[in-house]
Amino acid sequence: MPYLLTIWVAKLAGRVSQLFGRGEGATLPGYLAEDMRPQLLAELGHQIGGDIILITGTNGKTTTTKMVREVLEASGQRVLNNQDGSNLARGVLSTLIAATDWRSRIGLASAVLEVDEAALPAVATALRPRLIVVLNLFRDQLDRYGELDTTAELIGQAIKRSRADVLLNADDPLVASLARYTDKRARIRYFGVEAEYDGGLMHDHTADSTHDPLTGEPLQYQRVYFGHLGHYKTRSGRLKRPRPDVAVAEIKRLSAQGSKSIVKVGKQNLELKLTLPGLYNLYNALAAVAVSACLELDSQLTLDVLSITQPAFGRVETLDYRGRRLQLLLIKNPTGFNQVIQTFLLRNQQPVAFLINDNFADGRDVSWLWDAAIEDLPAKGQYWVGGLRAADMALRLKYADRPLQGRTDASLRQLLDEMVASTRPSELIYIVPTYTAMLELRRFVGAGRSRVVA
Amino acid sequence: MKYSLNIVHLYPGEMNIYGDRGNVTALVKRLEWRGIAAKVTEVGIGDSYDLSKADIIFAGGGQDKGQIAVGRDLKKRTKSLREAAESGAVMLVICGSYQLFGKYFQPQQGSRIEGIGLFAASTTATPIRMIGNVVIKTAQGELVGFENHSGQTTLEPGQAPLGQTIRGNGNNGQTGDEGAVYQNVFGTYLHGSLLPKNPVFTDNLLTLALKRKYPDFDGLRPLDDELENQAASVAKKRPQ
Repeated sequence: MPYLLTIWVAKLAGRVSQLFGRGEGATLPGYLAEDMRPQLLAELGHQIGGDIILITGTNGKTTTTKMVREVLEASGQRVLNNQDGSNLARGVLSTLIAATDWRSRIGLASAVLEVDEAALPAVATALRPRLIVVLNLFRDQLDRYGELDTTAELIGQAIKRSRADVLLNADDPLVASLARYTDKRARIRYFGVEAEYDGGLMHDHTADSTHDPLTGEPLQYQRVYFGHLGHYKTRSGRLKRPRPDVAVAEIKRLSAQGSKSIVKVGKQNLELKLTLPGLYNLYNALAAVAVSACLELDSQLTLDVLSITQPAFGRVETLDYRGRRLQLLLIKNPTGFNQVIQTFLLRNQQPVAFLINDNFADGRDVSWLWDAAIEDLPAKGQYWVGGLRAADMALRLKYADRPLQGRTDASLRQLLDEMVASTRPSELIYIVPTYTAMLELRRFVGAGRSRVVA
Repeated sequence: MKYSLNIVHLYPGEMNIYGDRGNVTALVKRLEWRGIAAKVTEVGIGDSYDLSKADIIFAGGGQDKGQIAVGRDLKKRTKSLREAAESGAVMLVICGSYQLFGKYFQPQQGSRIEGIGLFAASTTATPIRMIGNVVIKTAQGELVGFENHSGQTTLEPGQAPLGQTIRGNGNNGQTGDEGAVYQNVFGTYLHGSLLPKNPVFTDNLLTLALKRKYPDFDGLRPLDDELENQAASVAKKRPQ
């Protein structure tokens, strides 16, 4: 179908579905356009005058993309991004279609796009980005991807075919070894943590990448930050952690309230303050600083922007429900779960509800609950469960000798109301949901807000 | 009489991406709740350990690539594992480890990885991934779990399976069998983790190990398994 017609039809379909209040309006244009004119993604990509940056990895894509976008906007650029949409190929396409003007062209802009690992080959080949950023590779939804090595290979193919420059997490061996896929003329840069840090969990069993991806030789770690992120090498020396170009040199303060650290960018040592919690967000911010360095933007401006960055959708968001504050701590895999535990729950006294679903978007297999460091939760805490696999979570708590409040078969409303009954007004309640449970909770609380009895 | 069991967790670092550690947790806790001590020793690649001291041996699943190094190490322990199996030691091996307890694993690329041949079975990797909720029928009742493997395992005539699939693919999606059993060695593709939601099977494994070590052992006292059964019941009804 001709270019102009495709865009008009796609845009129209998007508007119509929005009118009917359908959530899929975000990806419908791309979904249609994909079929009508397969080369459209490449054509639109061609029009983007500024830099195209693709960000992928298991955890932190949304947050890091948001950070980079805010930095670029602060330096005066118009930035296309798929913040509200999906990170699959059709989501990216929908974002670009929405960015076209009345002449169906994209004006001058940069694009910072979050891309799902499996979608990266198609998107990178079509868009020919300047930079591909790979944040980390943890096991996540193994039932969707099969194996971690397979996912890495997909990303490698994307790097190879697009011939893009890459920015890689030096502390993740599987990510760092993606450098071998780069084009001869492409630039390879790394970010990583050099600081000493001993805030790790006692029961961290989430090292998902423990061997040299090429030879299978086991890795030895001199230092572990969390999961399999750290300083590593094989005994043979074939694989060794590369030196990062941008690094956290010192961590002065790190908690659920945010962090203060020293970041080394080239010859400069700058102070990075974040309100976003935990080590995992420090890694995200570090990646954003490294992107900024790749694009030769002002480092101090970058750090200033990052110091006021707020959480992305569904991550560390606080909602109100019947006078209580619900803090959402989204989990998607055991590494993320452990980071939530480490950052928020180790010394926590507040009630916590784990909402575990196993819909397609959450991952159908719940085995990963058994790798989460539940034994590190305070023994006398108040733990509740909900979601489709509440019983599995309750079982996990039982085998960790952690007490369970409430039932395993309560509805979301019943669970929340019971937690409200057991807390004082304005108290904080932690909600630790998987993805679709988070969506359901937001819809429910959003509806509930209008019926709040103060 | 103070009872205790030695549990050996093989390759906890290399074969650990499917939550199979939960099986060791289940074994340890169900002993502890009955006042029986459990000592867990982790044995990785290159670690020396006298396997004849083990009452229960456990090994989990990992990525196909990780199996090369594990396979080589496991081969060095063939004799002691065979002796342990013949003496009735209880073993539970899942997915990648289950494959290596057979004769060989043929990956999609690269050469065949030799197994220790405790099971008369072999596995060949295919492009098809068998993923989903599984229910199997065994001599010890129904087991519920989750499979995720590209290897198709074929049992030779005479090799007993762990059970027959009611839901799911099992060993190869064709022959209707799942897992394998030899003496007290149980191999399976079931994650979940397997043991937490299958308390009867777990207690059977524990009883086998306890009776072997303490011939006068008169049985485990029952525990309240309502939550375990609830979780299993939910899992059975989830879509494929």
